Amino acid sequence: MERDSRLDAVDDAALARRVAAAGGRVDSEAEAELYRRLAKRVRLYGLRHLRDEQAAADLAQQVLLTTLERLRAGAVREPEKIASFVLGMCRMTVLEMRRGSWRREALLAAWGDREEAYEAREPLSLDRDRLAGCLESLAARERSVVLLTFFADKAADEVAAALGLSAGNVRVIRHRALGKLRACLSGEKS
Amino acid sequence: MTCGKPIELEALVAWWLGELAPDAEAPIEEHLFACAHCTARLEELAALASGVRATVREGRVAAGISVPFLEALKRQGLRIREYRVPAGGRVECTLRAEDDAVVSRMQASLAGVKRVDALQRVEVGGEVSEQRVEDLPFDPAAGEVLFLPSAAGLRKMPAHTMRVRLLAVDEAGERPLGEYTFAHTPG
Repeated sequence: MERDSRLDAVDDAALARRVAAAGGRVDSEAEAELYRRLAKRVRLYGLRHLRDEQAAADLAQQVLLTTLERLRAGAVREPEKIASFVLGMCRMTVLEMRRGSWRREALLAAWGDREEAYEAREPLSLDRDRLAGCLESLAARERSVVLLTFFADKAADEVAAALGLSAGNVRVIRHRALGKLRACLSGEKS
Repeated sequence: MTCGKPIELEALVAWWLGELAPDAEAPIEEHLFACAHCTARLEELAALASGVRATVREGRVAAGISVPFLEALKRQGLRIREYRVPAGGRVECTLRAEDDAVVSRMQASLAGVKRVDALQRVEVGGEVSEQRVEDLPFDPAAGEVLFLPSAAGLRKMPAHTMRVRLLAVDEAGERPLGEYTFAHTPG
């Protein structure tokens, strides 16, 4: 089903209210749009806290399908605060995943055969040839700081310890390098 | 899609890397969950991190690296061929099909050194090219400078010899730390 571009003007809270107001019916359009928007945020939250693509995808599915179910059942007290509700669910589910009390099999068993499987948009991906060229255009120290930082998502103090620098110095180099990379990737001249 | 008070890039990066205290993380997360604009900026950052990982794994980028970074590459399953070379040393080296990357570990006395530059002289057939790489990162305590060349670039090169001269650079000028010769044969 093609997405109606008029949905761009509808905010998250209004979509949540539509889902909640559908009663016994299912407002597929509102649900699909809400899923699409929130899946991106939950995935990114999951990547930040779990550092694993599959775990982040599982988190998004678990949290959003549960959210839709609660909205339909009228169990979300304030649909206009849907963002806070979803963030709270994320925090709770990440804790369960870290404790090991969360099971992927349970997610599949609960939702695997449902008809209303909504699709999250494909994650953004950069042109790797272009990125490689932009990385090569950085000064040697900037390139090393970017690689050491983002290859394994290391904080400034860890990168600093590996390179004999201060954490403040790493943050300055990192900030400058990110500015150059963004300009290079967008085709601007730095 | 706009935001009246976007999260500053530095704060977004610090949150992504787990540099913030929990009480500083919470307002950023609340903002992100309610803001499509800042979510899109975070998505760009996540795509950059993912792209950097892929670029390194595919051997498309050359860089000075650290021992912990080398260990991280190995933990992620990359097969690394390492060459430890003392100052004044020469090594016969290669990059085989089964290798993902090669790392040169140039031993040098780095105590008190502020900046290291590398003069690279490559001879292919009768042709010579030279390049100066300024301000290579290094850990003074490690006693070595680690360099990860682009494996993809190296695979395209015929047999060649590369001489690297490491220089300590400071306000008084520069002094040699060592010269290292890599005689490369395609794998």
